Amino acid sequence: MKKIRTLLLIGLVCMTQFLYAQSRVTGKVIGENNLPLAGATVNVKSTNTNVVTDAAGNFTVTAPANSTLVISYSGYQTLERTLTGTQMDNIVIVLQPAESALTEVVVTGYTTQTRRQYTGSVNRISGADVALQPIASLEQLLQGKSPGLLIQSQSGQPGSAASVTIRGKGSVLGGTQPLFIIDGIEVTAADFQGLNPADIESYNVLKDAVTTSQYGSRGANGVIVVTTKRGANGKTRFTYDVQYGVQYLPKNKLALMTSAQHLDYETNYDRPIYGLNPFGWSAGDIDSLSKLNPNWEGAVFQKAKTQQHILSASGGNERTRFFISGSIFKQDGLVRTTNLNRYTGRANLDHTAGNLKIGLSTSVGYSERSGTDENDNVITTPLNAFRWTLPYITPYSSDGSFNLDDPGGNPNPLPDLFLNTNRNKQIKAVGSISLEYRLPFVRGLSVRTLWGADFTDNQNERYTDIKTQANSVVPGGQGAINSNTLRRTRYTGTTSINYEKRVGDHNFGGGLFTEIVNRTTNSTTFTGYGLSGPLKSVSGITPGTTTNRFIPNVGGTRNGDALVSYFFIGNYDYKGKYFVNLTGRRDGSSRLAEGNKYVNYGGAGLGWLLTSEDFMKGQKAFNTLKLRASYGSAGNASIGDSYEAFEQFGNVSYNGIGGLVLINLKKPNLTWETRRTANVGAEFTMFNNRLTGSVDVYSANTAGLYLNRQISSTNGANSITTNLGKLKNNGVEIALGYDVIKSKDVTVNINANWTSNKSEILALDGNDEIIGGISINRVGERANSVYLVKYAGVDAATGDALYLKRDGKTTTSVYDPNDAVITGSFDPKGFGGFGTTISFKGIELSALLNYQYGYSVYNQGRSDVENPQYWYSGLNADLMREWKQPGDVTDIPSAFSDFQNATTRFLEKGDFLRLRNVMLSYNLRQSLTNKWKLTGIRFFVQGQNLYTWHSFKGYDPEISTGALTGAQYPALRAVTGGVSIGF
Amino acid sequence: MKRLLQNISILIFSGAVLVSCSKKIELEPTNTVNGDKFFTTIDDYDFVLTGAYSRLKQNSLYSGVNGGSIFLSAVDVAADNFYTGGDNLGALNGMFRWNYTADNDGVKGAWDAAYKVIQQANLSVRGINRFRGESPEKVNRIEGQARALRAFMHLEILRWWAPDYDRNSASLGIPYVDAFDLEQMPARPTVKQTYDKMEADLKAAKAMLSNVDVPIQSVTSIAGTGRAYMDSLVVNAILARMYLYASQFDSAIKYSTYVINARPLATATEFPLIWQDATTREVIWSVNYQTIDAPLAREIYRPASAAANDEVSWIPVTALVNSYTGTDVRKPAYFVTRNGITVINKYFAKAGITRPDGIVNFKVFRTAEMYLIRAEALARKGGFDIAALADLNILRAARNAPTGSETGTALLTSIATERRKELFMEGHRFFDLKRTVRTVNRIQDCSSYCTLLPGNRAWALPIPQTEIIANPNMKQNPGY
Repeated sequence: MKKIRTLLLIGLVCMTQFLYAQSRVTGKVIGENNLPLAGATVNVKSTNTNVVTDAAGNFTVTAPANSTLVISYSGYQTLERTLTGTQMDNIVIVLQPAESALTEVVVTGYTTQTRRQYTGSVNRISGADVALQPIASLEQLLQGKSPGLLIQSQSGQPGSAASVTIRGKGSVLGGTQPLFIIDGIEVTAADFQGLNPADIESYNVLKDAVTTSQYGSRGANGVIVVTTKRGANGKTRFTYDVQYGVQYLPKNKLALMTSAQHLDYETNYDRPIYGLNPFGWSAGDIDSLSKLNPNWEGAVFQKAKTQQHILSASGGNERTRFFISGSIFKQDGLVRTTNLNRYTGRANLDHTAGNLKIGLSTSVGYSERSGTDENDNVITTPLNAFRWTLPYITPYSSDGSFNLDDPGGNPNPLPDLFLNTNRNKQIKAVGSISLEYRLPFVRGLSVRTLWGADFTDNQNERYTDIKTQANSVVPGGQGAINSNTLRRTRYTGTTSINYEKRVGDHNFGGGLFTEIVNRTTNSTTFTGYGLSGPLKSVSGITPGTTTNRFIPNVGGTRNGDALVSYFFIGNYDYKGKYFVNLTGRRDGSSRLAEGNKYVNYGGAGLGWLLTSEDFMKGQKAFNTLKLRASYGSAGNASIGDSYEAFEQFGNVSYNGIGGLVLINLKKPNLTWETRRTANVGAEFTMFNNRLTGSVDVYSANTAGLYLNRQISSTNGANSITTNLGKLKNNGVEIALGYDVIKSKDVTVNINANWTSNKSEILALDGNDEIIGGISINRVGERANSVYLVKYAGVDAATGDALYLKRDGKTTTSVYDPNDAVITGSFDPKGFGGFGTTISFKGIELSALLNYQYGYSVYNQGRSDVENPQYWYSGLNADLMREWKQPGDVTDIPSAFSDFQNATTRFLEKGDFLRLRNVMLSYNLRQSLTNKWKLTGIRFFVQGQNLYTWHSFKGYDPEISTGALTGAQYPALRAVTGGVSIGF
Repeated sequence: MKRLLQNISILIFSGAVLVSCSKKIELEPTNTVNGDKFFTTIDDYDFVLTGAYSRLKQNSLYSGVNGGSIFLSAVDVAADNFYTGGDNLGALNGMFRWNYTADNDGVKGAWDAAYKVIQQANLSVRGINRFRGESPEKVNRIEGQARALRAFMHLEILRWWAPDYDRNSASLGIPYVDAFDLEQMPARPTVKQTYDKMEADLKAAKAMLSNVDVPIQSVTSIAGTGRAYMDSLVVNAILARMYLYASQFDSAIKYSTYVINARPLATATEFPLIWQDATTREVIWSVNYQTIDAPLAREIYRPASAAANDEVSWIPVTALVNSYTGTDVRKPAYFVTRNGITVINKYFAKAGITRPDGIVNFKVFRTAEMYLIRAEALARKGGFDIAALADLNILRAARNAPTGSETGTALLTSIATERRKELFMEGHRFFDLKRTVRTVNRIQDCSSYCTLLPGNRAWALPIPQTEIIANPNMKQNPGY
């Protein structure tokens, strides 16, 4: 008996020996044109070990006999090669270029699947495609790149954030910004200025409900899942990128009066009260002043420099891999004194120890920003003041000091621009650690936990100098310094049990998850006064007394919210032809009142790969064709502050004694907005894979839409935020790519994407309409429709402005706000991008254009310079057409006609087409780089926003809020050049 | 075995994480007070009442920029006290030109802000009755002030939005809101019904405020912080003003007399100090402004340290400035000539402040107004011209102005003139003209905006468009 046991044991040992008999395998991976592929992954299927090929495409791996190698490389088809006993050395593996986008990996944050398997609507943008654009804030890089994704960069201020919406605004009052996930953790969208775009491996845009329902109450606006670069097995590789460039000011299409015009306007156009020539210029004055046309634009703007350096290293062995990078980014703004300097560092590590996998992602960014106020109509804002000043007033006096002698009392913008400072210092740290353990006793079962945090420390310091216009409203009038510190920490913890199993033709996978997301935000602010001494910092503050009025103003906020979730994500396929994805999630939020805290979401998707069916075998047109459909729900609770549902009283003081006032109305019934999306789509490759494309049609219904329910203001408030509406967004998305020429030396590819989105208000809980200033939400109309009185020109007999009555037929000179009607929408009907990539040997030329159409912008910036009451300030040159006497046929009313700005006179088309990026690059021949022991050198020059076709009276029509308030900071327009070196 | 144990412990750990984190989502605001967990002691109500007073400092009421200050600057600009200055950026142009429409921001701002004061006053008595048993005098002190404040704000609203003021007028009054309820959609009662509620509130307030736990004005009342709250004396003053507007002369005489007897006029020496908050003489109630608050009357005139940098948006009309004769102490207290322009001096700064920042208390009720109320009530009642003239002359004498011996219509005219001179830029002129059905007659630099005849729609502000839209019961004023 004992003998038998011993024998058995020996047998087992032998078997084990046999099973694990390993040998060394060497080989080379080559791709198109017999070029070696560096960085291809070679996976031993049975032991799940990975190696990566070196610069010459060579690899070495230990593998059991007769095992299968899986070789993959981005852009190529994954190949499986089973080793036979004799084939162990110098294997040559030839990879074929990817036949279809279906082999691409879809990252949804919680799961990873191939596009073939996935039934949701997800677009992937490779980080490498956009990383070189000289833009600090990474979300702006995605403009025009993905159907359904609308990026509106409203400002050219370095580091400024863009407005991002996916498939139309699903909310009117609540947030419309998608959720951003980096390496598994939620990050705040507003401060990407602290991250280095070159660290990004991919951006995955999650659009339909089977994908967004995974994120439950945060998913309604779509999700952008960002992955950062990971290390690869093999020799350590370094890359150094450097680029320098210059930015230029675009043209302002709103021309102001020249000095001669302004003087003509003052002296020859009558006006109420002040009459002709109100400044009393003599003929001599007019003669000399009209010759002065100082360059105010030149005084405020500059040709700005930008530069960037990035050094990265990646490598590792079979067990441990790393990616490390560091970067410096410096950008001066178009407006003098504005700039951004950013320094980032990243370390990503992966380690495998038997069944345990550990992953670490860390990134730290430090940025310093000097900004100027924008997008307001405050007179002290330099970007307003330089246009509102009289055109014949020079920026500087003859002695070189700031010229403060404007007879109209318009402030000179330069003291405020040059003497005041607005500096922001930010530390941004995003990090996460993950542990994954494959349970050995049940094959396919694993547990995973990921914990991470997004930490932001913002220190903003605004200094108001005693010599500036802004100082005139400072208590004590001796300068001020405001320091604002904001510290935000958001941690995410996700734990899951995952299982996958294949039974015959059936393939199952899925996981049970629990997640907690917790945010706390603390801010402290103080303003100190009395900076008349030499110190222009916080140390220069004079202690306050009631007589000197330098009593500092101190405040701060503390808030936070938490989300607890339980969910499952599952997938199934049959024969690799039919695919199912399922999601269910239950979220509880601290933001809502008791009884409304929890809500459930779910989604389901179906996919059918037609080209795997027998009946499709005969046809030649389609290489692949996949149909998919999905339906599900996701939520949005980003409304108000963290405690919007509670009745809140805030601190005030009266007569030196503290008190409380009602600042937030109680909303016990407030709950999430729920967006249910139905999506039908097709993905295909045709004509020998030369044409690739996808088409999606969606209908997204938001129920419980947050709207301000109007209440009688005699109750002390105008409105209560209520879930009272229903909104529909219907749309079509098309993305196409076509290889016009695909030969050994020359490739020409063109690509385009187009999204059309139409919103419609379906219900407003019994109300027909809700009016908010110049916009309206009315049942049956588009959300955020423009609501203004129609301007009908000028009465030639009287010079009065004419308005169209509500009936749309009769005109009247009496302005009545009740005559307002819907005239278009502030949200674009359609948008997209198109471009081309042409390569010839090592030379590559690529261009991307993006466009938006079918929306209006209310130009308040123009109304402020078209109001004849402001005759003493800079004015639109169009006022030279002002009505002067009976019989004048013109479009500008007399100065005696009451000026009304809430009319369509100031509504303009926002449509534009922009040459977003053009890049010319040259890859040095490999024979040459090999000689220098380099893996590659690439030279490039690129132009960003070189030209924009539009008719908007301003610098730029790309405005997401519907109205240009004023003080427009023009969009960045840059030319840069640089080199990337790999070694 | 060890493996198995390891695996089991991992599973248990994961299970434990999966189970309930629901405590994590029970967060309470730390930055603000949750109303549901507040109002648990009577002392909590004190904080909310203080909040109601602080609401008086809202933009659009007395302080305000860019078209604000509807209850202070606009009242004189819409009348005949100002003409446009060189630095006018358009603020209050609409009020000057009488072309306000229902979507005017200033009109909406004032309406909303005034009712927000009332909301806060109502909140400071929400459920207070349950404490009446245990501390009746404390409740009296809080509820009395809240009712007085509420009544006062309704009178302010009535002054701008009601087409006329007669006690029994059936014209459109203004909604009288006496409870915090966000769902109410009040219709416009008549002017009479508005007065009924106002009067009842004030009478109740007066009774409550005569039996309180601690003195209402701070005991260590120092100059600049005194007279900031509504005590029974202030209620008398409100009643006196209300009865004058309602043309109820006997009551106006009765209540103004209470106040006159309690707080005498300032002497000629003390008078200038009132405007620097260096004395509370003659001040019955003021809205108190502190360093961090907004300045007053900046849309009229913004002084700078150097006179050359002053911004003069509106200039007092010459006829008014010249109407103060000889040694009249009001002239230097109200006007100053800087950089060659006569500008207002009333809202310069508190005493000891070197740089004029415009942060001073807004003196809502002064004894001088009580004299003028009593004089006018006596004269208009008929048969009391001598008593009326006596009051008028007491005031004139106190200001070092020449006294007179007018009777009849001349006396009434003199009282009106004296009101214009005494209460310049204190929120009266336009309403005084409206109340007495006079015409606005501008004679200086008024272009095509020189005359506003009785009956013009502009005498009453339009109800804001937002209110008309939100509240189907709300009626617009005639002509809008």
